Amino acid sequence: MIGVTEEMPRVVFAGFASCFGCQINITNIEKHLMDVLGQVDLRYWQLTSSDPMPEAFDVAVIEGAVTTEEARAAVQRLRDGAKAVITIGACAATAGIPGMSTDDHEADMDAVYGANVPHVVADGAIAPMAVKDVIQVDFEVPCCPIDPYDFVEVLQHALYGSNAYRRTSTLCGECKNNERGCFYGRDMLCLGLVTRAGCGARCPDLGRPCNGCAGFSPDANVEQARRVAERAGIGAAAFDGALRMFNQPIAVGEEG
Amino acid sequence: MVRKSINVEHLARIEGHGDIHLDIQDGMVSRCEFSVTEPARLFESMVRGRPFHEAPYIASRVCGICSASHTLTDILAIEDIFGVQVTDRTRALRELLVYGSFLQNHATHLFVFAAPDFLGHKSIFPVKEADPETFEGALALKGLGNELCTIVGGRSIHPITAVVGGFTSEPSAEEYLRLADELERMVDRALKSVDLFSGFDAVGLETAGDMLAMVEEGTYPVIGSDQALFVRSGQRFKADDYEAHIEEYAVGHSAAFLARMREGGRPYMAAALARVNASWGNLTEPARFAAAKAGLRPPELDPFANNVAQAVEVVDSLVRCAGICRKLAGDGYAGSSEPVAFEVRAGRGVGFTEAPRGALFHDLELDAAGRVVRASIITPTSQNIANLEADMRSLAQKLVEAGASADDIRLDVEKLVRAYDPCLSCSVH
Repeated sequence: MIGVTEEMPRVVFAGFASCFGCQINITNIEKHLMDVLGQVDLRYWQLTSSDPMPEAFDVAVIEGAVTTEEARAAVQRLRDGAKAVITIGACAATAGIPGMSTDDHEADMDAVYGANVPHVVADGAIAPMAVKDVIQVDFEVPCCPIDPYDFVEVLQHALYGSNAYRRTSTLCGECKNNERGCFYGRDMLCLGLVTRAGCGARCPDLGRPCNGCAGFSPDANVEQARRVAERAGIGAAAFDGALRMFNQPIAVGEEG
Repeated sequence: MVRKSINVEHLARIEGHGDIHLDIQDGMVSRCEFSVTEPARLFESMVRGRPFHEAPYIASRVCGICSASHTLTDILAIEDIFGVQVTDRTRALRELLVYGSFLQNHATHLFVFAAPDFLGHKSIFPVKEADPETFEGALALKGLGNELCTIVGGRSIHPITAVVGGFTSEPSAEEYLRLADELERMVDRALKSVDLFSGFDAVGLETAGDMLAMVEEGTYPVIGSDQALFVRSGQRFKADDYEAHIEEYAVGHSAAFLARMREGGRPYMAAALARVNASWGNLTEPARFAAAKAGLRPPELDPFANNVAQAVEVVDSLVRCAGICRKLAGDGYAGSSEPVAFEVRAGRGVGFTEAPRGALFHDLELDAAGRVVRASIITPTSQNIANLEADMRSLAQKLVEAGASADDIRLDVEKLVRAYDPCLSCSVH
């Protein structure tokens, strides 16, 4: 690294079961990337560098769900070696999209590969888990994909020790500020009723209902939201089904 | 007996996780594997039972780096089932999104992943000091691709606005014109990067297999044609019939399926290089001239030339997108991009596009309620792995015979893998 000083915090990046989009999105803030990297000693970023993984570091940034024993052990090593752990994206936070195959993981595997599941897939495979279900996580950057500026903000929190403040309200309030009207009443299902605010209701603002990628808001009243879906003629079952994309039912009300 | 092994675990500067295993015994390459160890997320089973409108949104998550391609290809498969005919304006916007993805991906691959090998660095970051012009140019190109995707799709990856039938939101005419100006301004920089990549030393290798690309008379198609061509054999087929021409198969060392030509079992390459070989004459003039200057003309069978082919496509994308943006600003396309009405019905459909890394097929079956019954995704990288392994073997053999050290073999094999620009989370999905 250029300009690395001894006091610079050492940061490592690691990717597990994911689309790599959150890390890609961090590289997508070109203009700010070097400013961010100028503050840290980037010890290991497999996506961008062939430098090997170091022994000790200050911050571990983790993308992806844990879907193998190897990944579980690697996540544990990251926890052991780091002063702070940041997860980025929905896959790490809630098991995200890979989490959709949690219930029947083995059957899903057979459905894709048939009788001959490759040994690199079968060996050590486990049903997808959120990183926070494996180790203690200090900071979380939500959404699928993350907003890279949220990452910069959270990284600052982790580096300089300020409190990890997160919005607790639901997306609906944010959406109202955009004055784009509501999908309920237009025969469309929207998860903004129960999803954590913070993204500025970006999808509804572009004409697309919320898919819940930020995870549950701790303030969410899921029962009431189901009733709203019933009243709108969409049905609670469809509402629950949509929630499955980023929020496994077990997570309802557990999010803090 | 002299035995040597070259193993690279978790190869860096590629998208996803993959290992290289080479065994050399008495001067012969006895084992040559590119092992894709990316975790299987099982997209093809997780989408079953989901409503059709969620499928492209989920498919987008196959890959954060080429998400626009997965979104659009899934949408095309659904539209194939419902018989949706979109407007010319929607087609133009989709083309912009694909090209935006080309710019993002090619710039990332060329500068962040591939160039450090040739410039003698372990990452792009030292290039900032060593060659600030190249570094700034690389970031600017990549940034413009991101901007294009953000303006059309709503964010730089995982587009929001593209849905079955059209787009839920569209930029203003002013934004199109501003983009067009920026795209045109970037052409000179892109031309310089063609020179940069054509100047890098390569070993010189003839690829083992065929090449597959989308084709259409008189155009350089990336979305919208249903015709595919095996360039070397001349075998042409309709995307809907891909299964009659492409065979997917599993091997123990790869979490990704591999692919070969059904007839004759030959591996093949799907990539920018395949497209350039298939449709060289239909590149825009600045791109074609740049290709000619770089010595890239069909038939070009050296897989390392894929780097130059991508650099040429960057020029081509900039010129094309500027034209599309100006035409969009001037209402030059018929119809609006608002989603057209359609009837949900059961059936099977195939979506086919040229993703940044090559031909991409999404094969979907829906029930009468529009729920996914079956899904199959065939990515460019999974189609490339068998051919990559064959090329790795002949490259390693060539180097062994020339007396190269293990370190030199390792570096050149890594360069070859990066020239293929594999996207491993795509390939496994």
